[in-house]
Amino acid sequence: MTEERFQEFLRQAAQDYNEPPETPRDEMWRAIQAERAMHGARRAAPWPQRAVRSPWVRWGVGLAAALVVGIAIGRIGGGGLPTQTTVMAAGPGEDAMTTAVSAPYRYATAQHLGQVEAFLTGFRVDSRAGAPDGAPDGATSDARQLLSVTRLLLDSPVSDDQQLKALLEDVELVLVQIARYRGGRDQEELELIDDSMEQRSVLLRLSSAVSAEPGLASM
Amino acid sequence: MDDAQLVARIRAGDARAERALYDQQVDRVYRLAYRMAGDDDLARDFTQETFIRVFDRIGQFRGEAALSTWIRSVANTVILNGLRRVKRHRTRELDLEAARGAASGSRSAEPDLKEKLRRAIYALPDKYRMVFVMHDVEGYTHEEISRQLGMQVGTSKAQLSRARAKLRDSLAEFAGEWAS
Repeated sequence: MTEERFQEFLRQAAQDYNEPPETPRDEMWRAIQAERAMHGARRAAPWPQRAVRSPWVRWGVGLAAALVVGIAIGRIGGGGLPTQTTVMAAGPGEDAMTTAVSAPYRYATAQHLGQVEAFLTGFRVDSRAGAPDGAPDGATSDARQLLSVTRLLLDSPVSDDQQLKALLEDVELVLVQIARYRGGRDQEELELIDDSMEQRSVLLRLSSAVSAEPGLASM
Repeated sequence: MDDAQLVARIRAGDARAERALYDQQVDRVYRLAYRMAGDDDLARDFTQETFIRVFDRIGQFRGEAALSTWIRSVANTVILNGLRRVKRHRTRELDLEAARGAASGSRSAEPDLKEKLRRAIYALPDKYRMVFVMHDVEGYTHEEISRQLGMQVGTSKAQLSRARAKLRDSLAEFAGEWAS
């Protein structure tokens, strides 16, 4: 009896829980039409034009090879590569960090981060806009390439710089998610990838890191 | 016009059919979105995203369920996924608010029943809250809920029961209100 009374009481008391106003039908309809028109325009461009995959795939393979050679030289030579003081931007609200990383690594890292930034930006734009079926599947192989380079960098002296290491680890996490993406435009999975990027401010930090590297201005 | 005719016209690019479908369904989608989000901007976002997906994927509708059920199941997915993202931020905001209140030494008056109920409903896990809002607030049947949320009727009943039990615990200090 008390349970029935409670249920009745609850039903009545909850009626004004977040009571909705009148549905703004026409405003929402206009917004829907505008958004669909934008989607249509984005979809008109074929995937390769929007995400330009092949350059960073080719470049990634080259960089990976260069890093393997570089790491080998560094190890054989006892880390004797010329060093140069560099400033890599930190995350939001943090101070830029000054650290000593040898010039080839510094350049390779900055270039790699620039490529990752371009890739993730393209991936996010296309996944939000609704890329054609199958397109994100193609992105997974790009993510794997970039992931290999990221891991090489994490195994290199670059990871002595704690902020760079943290950024590379976050990049690694996002790239792993994309590399494992099952395709078929699974919205939940895409949203998780998007969340990972946002929670860790990955794009913002990549952008800061890249813009702090003068050598990349001409890229 | 039945579901099949409406879908066929939409697939053929008939804009008036799209608007007709929207007009048929938008109120229930927006109401549920608003009840769950408690915020007009979010409710609009969820509703708009629902219809964008519906029109985008209308080709995938096979007619195995009623069109209204299919649309509401899309809406429920959009709402639950959207809430998952915003809830983190909101929880942080509430924590900050509480911290600010504690720091300033000011304590608001003991929340009344309505406020306490509102907070208790908000604190429910999203799926329990969805079932509770759909059943006890918006008047859906367990059969409708089960079809729209893709669960068994028994699961819907069990989740409603758990939601009510949690609310009962949260409102224990007001037990006199329903015991009398």
